[in-house]
Amino acid sequence: MLTGTADPGALARGAPTLAGFGTEPLKLHGVETLQIFCEIERESSDALLPPGLHPTVPPAVTWLVQRVAESPWGAFSLAQCRIECRSGLRPRGFLRGGVVDCAEAGAALAERWGYALRPGEIQLDRAYDRIRASVRVAGEEVLCAALRDPMPLRNADAYYVANVNLAHTPHGLRLVQVDPEFEVERAERGRPVVERFAAAAWNADGARPSYPVSGSFTIAAVTLPALRYVSRPDVLAFQGTERVDAQPG
Amino acid sequence: MRFGIFFELSVPRPFTRINESLVYQNALEQARLADALGFECAWAVEHHFLEEYSHCSAPELFLTAVATQTTRIRVGHGAVVCVPQINHPIRVAERAAVLDLLSGGRLEFGTARSSTWTEIGGFQADPDDTKKDWDEFVRVLPRMWMEERFSHQGRCFSMPERAILPKPLQQPHPPMWVTVTSPGTELDAADRGLGCLGVATASFAEQERRTREYHRRIQQCSPAGGAVNDRVAILNFLYCHEDGAVAEARGLHFLGMFGMLNAHLLFTREAYPTSAYQSLANLAPEPSKKGGPGDRPGVPEGLCLGDPAAILRAVRRWESIGVDQINFLVNSVEVLPQDQVLDSLRLFAKEVMPVFAAC
Repeated sequence: MLTGTADPGALARGAPTLAGFGTEPLKLHGVETLQIFCEIERESSDALLPPGLHPTVPPAVTWLVQRVAESPWGAFSLAQCRIECRSGLRPRGFLRGGVVDCAEAGAALAERWGYALRPGEIQLDRAYDRIRASVRVAGEEVLCAALRDPMPLRNADAYYVANVNLAHTPHGLRLVQVDPEFEVERAERGRPVVERFAAAAWNADGARPSYPVSGSFTIAAVTLPALRYVSRPDVLAFQGTERVDAQPG
Repeated sequence: MRFGIFFELSVPRPFTRINESLVYQNALEQARLADALGFECAWAVEHHFLEEYSHCSAPELFLTAVATQTTRIRVGHGAVVCVPQINHPIRVAERAAVLDLLSGGRLEFGTARSSTWTEIGGFQADPDDTKKDWDEFVRVLPRMWMEERFSHQGRCFSMPERAILPKPLQQPHPPMWVTVTSPGTELDAADRGLGCLGVATASFAEQERRTREYHRRIQQCSPAGGAVNDRVAILNFLYCHEDGAVAEARGLHFLGMFGMLNAHLLFTREAYPTSAYQSLANLAPEPSKKGGPGDRPGVPEGLCLGDPAAILRAVRRWESIGVDQINFLVNSVEVLPQDQVLDSLRLFAKEVMPVFAAC
C-alpha cells in the first residue's frame, strides 16, 4: 500500500498556526471557482504527501482558483495547489501551497482553517470560449491554466474533495480537515489547458503535470465549515485521527 | 441460495514476477477447491492499471485456466468492460464464445463500463459515453452469438456483414449480467432482462429495496438478449473459522486491506465531473455510522466474517430478502496465508453450504 514519504518536520516549517479549534462557519457568496484536474508523474509524487496520507493511483494535482465577491474582508481571490490523496478511505486534497491577494483574508484563512497562503496577484478571466487563470508571485507567473470551450454541467455534477491543510494546532502539527460546502448556482466543464506551472513556487517540487484531465467552473455560495477532525501527519488516519469539535452530550 | 467465489487478483507490493505468479497460482488452487466443494461459480473481474487492487487484466485467460482445471463450477466474467477503447465488441463476442466452448457451456457473462478514471483515462475513453457504449454492447452481443451473419451500423462501432465465429455452446447464449455498483443500476439490469451482479456491498435494507424493485421491474423488461436472466447476486467477504474472534480479526484485516486499496483508486466522478458518474462508486463497505474516522469498525452488517453459526445467520438473512447467489471475496493482497483461505472455504462448505443445498 502506498503512503506519502514527505518529512512532516520539513513540511512544518511552512505551516501556518491555527488559533484554535473553535472556528465558526463562514458563508461566502458569489464565489467563482476554476478547478483544473491534472495527472502528475508517479516518480517523486509520493514525496509530496506526508506519511499519514495515501497517494491516488494515478497521482494527480488540482489547482483551484477562486474569486470571492463578498466576505468580511471584502472581495478577494485565492489560488490553491493540492495533491489528490486519501486520508484512510476518504478522498482529500492536500494543500501544498496557496496564494491570496488580500492580506486580511489570508491571515483569517490561515488562523481559522489552516490555509498556508502567500501574497500574490490572481487573475481569473471569464470569456465564452475559455475561462483562464493566471497567478503571479513577486511578479513571476507561477500558474497559467485555462478551461477551453466551456459547456454547461448540471449543478449537482460539480465535485470538490475536502482539503487537508497542515498547520500547527493546539494538539501539535496536524492535518486539518476543511470540507467547504458548495451551493452551486452554475456549473461548466471544459477542456483543461496548463500553460505554466512553477512547482517550487507552490512548495510542490516534484509535481510534474503529465496529463490534464478536466477543467470545471462553478459559481456558488461556499461555506467554510467549523472544524471537526484533525489527524497526525506522521501516522495513518486510522491511528491518528482526532475529533476536535464539541462532542454531542 | 447459491455460492460463488470472486477473484480480483490483488497483488502485494513489490510487484515481483514471483508475487504476480503466486497470486494467480493461489487463485487457481482456490478455484479447484471451490469446484470440489460445490461452489456454483468462479467469477473474475476485468481491471486495468489498478496497482495492488486488481491485476486481473485478462480474465478470459484466467477463466479459461479455471475451466480447464475444474469439472463442474461455472466460470463468470464479472465483468467484461463494454467500452470500445478497451474491448472491441467483436472480440468480446469471439472470446466469450470460445470460453463457453472450452468450459463445456459453463460461462456466465457479466457486463460493465468501469468506474475509475484510472482505467477510463488510461484507455482515453470518454466518460460521458460509457453508459451509451455499454448499452450498445449488450444489445449487439447476443445478436452476434445468435445470428448466423451479423452487420451493424451503430454509435460506438459499425461493421459490414460477417459471420462471427464460433458460436457459444449454451443456447441461445450464456446468461448475461450487469455489475451493479451505484444505486439505480439494478434498474438498468431489470429493464434489459439482465442478471443483477452486485459488486459493492450494501446493507440488508438497501439490498432488500434494490432486490424488490429489480424483481418488480424485470417483469416488464425488453430483453437485450435471447433469454432473461432474473437472478440477483451480491458480493460478500468470507472468512470462516471455528473461533468467531479469530474469524473476525483475520476477516477484518483482509476486508480493511481491500477497502483501503479500492479507496486509493482515482474515481471518475472525482477527476472528471459528469452526469454519467453520479457517485464515486467505491466498493468498500460503509464505515460505522456511530463512529468517527479514527474509530475501528466491527464486522459490517451482513458480511460473512465469523464462525459458521454467525455466517449461517447472515446468509439466511440475505436469502430472506430475495438474494439468489452470494459471491465471496476470500483474500486481498495475500494478507491471509493460502492455507487459511482454503481452510475457511472447507469449513464454510462443511458447516454452512449443506443447509442451503437441502432447501
